[in-house]
Amino acid sequence: MENTLVEATDVKKDFYTGKITVNALRGLDLNVHKGDFLSIVGPSGSGKTTLLNLIGALDVATSGEVKVFGKDLSSLSRRKRADLRLKSLGFVFQAYNLVPVLTALENVEFVLELQGVGKERRERAQAVLEDLSLGELGDRRPNELSGGQQQRVAVARAVASRPRLVLADEPTANLDSENAKTLLEMMRYLRDEHDMTFVFSTHDPLVVSYASRVVTLRDGRVVSDEQKNSIAEDDEATVH
Amino acid sequence: MRVSLIMKFAVRTLGRSKRRTLLSAIGIGVGCAVALFITAFMRSGTEMRIQAIADSGFGHLRIAPSGWMKSRENKLRLSDWHAELQAARSMDGVRVAAPHARTTALLAFGTRVTGVEMLGVDPPAEEKLNRLIGAVQEGRYLRPGDRDVTVIGNAIAERLEVELEDDLFLTVVCEDGNMEYAMLRIVGIVNTGSRDIDASICHVALGDLERLTGLHGAGEITITLEDPSKIDQMAAQLSDQIGGRNEVLTWREIQPGQGADSASDKAFMNLFIGIVGVVVILGIASAQLTAILERKREFAVLMALGMKGFQIVRLVLLEAVALGLLGAAAGLALVTPLLYYTDTKGIDFGSALGGDMAVSGVLFDFVMYTQMGLWMIPYALSVALISTLIAALYPAWFAMKTDPTSALSLREA
Ligand SMILES: Nc1ncnc2c1ncn2[C@@H]1O[C@H](COP(=O)(O)OP(=O)(O)OP(=O)(O)O)[C@@H](O)[C@H]1O
Ligand SMILES: [Mg+2]
Repeated sequence: MENTLVEATDVKKDFYTGKITVNALRGLDLNVHKGDFLSIVGPSGSGKTTLLNLIGALDVATSGEVKVFGKDLSSLSRRKRADLRLKSLGFVFQAYNLVPVLTALENVEFVLELQGVGKERRERAQAVLEDLSLGELGDRRPNELSGGQQQRVAVARAVASRPRLVLADEPTANLDSENAKTLLEMMRYLRDEHDMTFVFSTHDPLVVSYASRVVTLRDGRVVSDEQKNSIAEDDEATVH
Repeated sequence: MRVSLIMKFAVRTLGRSKRRTLLSAIGIGVGCAVALFITAFMRSGTEMRIQAIADSGFGHLRIAPSGWMKSRENKLRLSDWHAELQAARSMDGVRVAAPHARTTALLAFGTRVTGVEMLGVDPPAEEKLNRLIGAVQEGRYLRPGDRDVTVIGNAIAERLEVELEDDLFLTVVCEDGNMEYAMLRIVGIVNTGSRDIDASICHVALGDLERLTGLHGAGEITITLEDPSKIDQMAAQLSDQIGGRNEVLTWREIQPGQGADSASDKAFMNLFIGIVGVVVILGIASAQLTAILERKREFAVLMALGMKGFQIVRLVLLEAVALGLLGAAAGLALVTPLLYYTDTKGIDFGSALGGDMAVSGVLFDFVMYTQMGLWMIPYALSVALISTLIAALYPAWFAMKTDPTSALSLREA
């Protein structure tokens, strides 16, 4: 199944906090296909973050099966899962999660260093920033960047290793609509030009309007899954 | 070559909370400085002790008759002392080898009497060996060929109320058990500054002592070395050289009290350094742990990006190394002026204590010095690095245990 990147089947995830058990996911089924620009929506507590954690190999399901790129994640060791994240997955987090003591360029470079990229890692990192029109920000530390700029650098860092799948948990939650638009256009550019697949959770109607597919969760289950034409789909707008 | 980012990451992290880094570095620095100071003090303390023992006529090494160690009997004589003396004097690294023989004697002048341990010496060798007799206050020291003359300490002179050129009446118990009498003319009076020592000095020529006691030869050969740091090595060498007829002793055996003092001083100082080390390690560990807790989220993000546990540990340990280097620098900066002062000017314990510092015949200097040198740099580095690395182990393990899911949710890591 070349075109199915994620297959989640009857996934359950329970959290045990003291005496209480929270059933965050209660038998969820979801497939993510190559080229999806998928938005996960749903009320707070419906399990969006939990689902992204499972797909992102950060956590393991209590039961059911999560296959990413055809591999059953529950069969992978901690280390193998870290490798999978490093080589094939990209993450963008809600809060600004750049390493504060490294410059924008170094943040991107750091992921490449972790991957074992040698001499050319600086050039490659620079190329990634330039591809996303962030070239001039390279020398700045995160505290010298605006929230929107930080989030764009975070996307650059997430895609530096050319992952096939990029996961983002409420990536625009802390951005105004201008910055949110720029970010979304950047992500869509990456999908279109670099064949990346995006899955992001959101509460933001603007983000939903950009999505090519919208999955709605409620109480840990998928309650609707609709393919749609995003409003901006035929705009010529790109980050360039 | 490009510095790896993980290195930059570690070093720049120190700049993140400058105040904490500064405090930690000072903490490590103070610990380092204490360890350095104590060690510098001990190094010179041991050296000075050895020096004082040697200068007081006890030497670094001694060739003693077999069995002397057990009985400490003055009557024992070396077998073939001429050969032993020759062997010792011809050895490289030997500064002086001086033959000695001892006997207890009663000195009398008029109605006054005092007992002493009389020392028979080879005058030219003794003058080189024994610093104390350099302090001849009146008259002169013994010369080769002297007969029936003596040099005494001024405390003896005072007790007997004698002056230079007076004749002392001397009684010794001879080898056959009879009393032997003689008259000794005082040719020199020594004032070392210590009453205890001045009450014990009574030197005569070895030949006089042989005649008086009826015991021939030397009871010991006392040796000082060019390089006191080679004592044990030279003892072994000398022991091979003389081949078992007599035994070779070091200052620790000649002055067992001093040897024990030196060992217990060292043990106490090491214990003290150890306690300081533990305190510093705990302090740094708690500061580091707080720093790590504040950065849990950062570690969660790094792990979500695919950083492995061992790489996180490496990062935290690298940070510790950077902190340790700063701490070592702080320690050296703190201790160097202090050591410079105490190395050149010394610390005067004399005025505080009063009196003199003679312990079992060894005259100590009032002023104690420390010993600075290049050894301090590797020493400071290893103390600082070892303690920061130990202190960072738990925080590193803690960082490694970060749950990467906490990067996505805003929940506490
Ligand atoms: N580590 C955890 N321990 C205990 N309960 C948890 C944990 N993580 C999530 N939960 C619970 O699981 C449920 C789903 O949480 P999740 O964070 O996935 O919701 P969400 O859809 O992302 O919500 P939001 O829109 O507010 O981010 C919630 O009831 C939450 O309290
Ligand atoms: Mg969430």
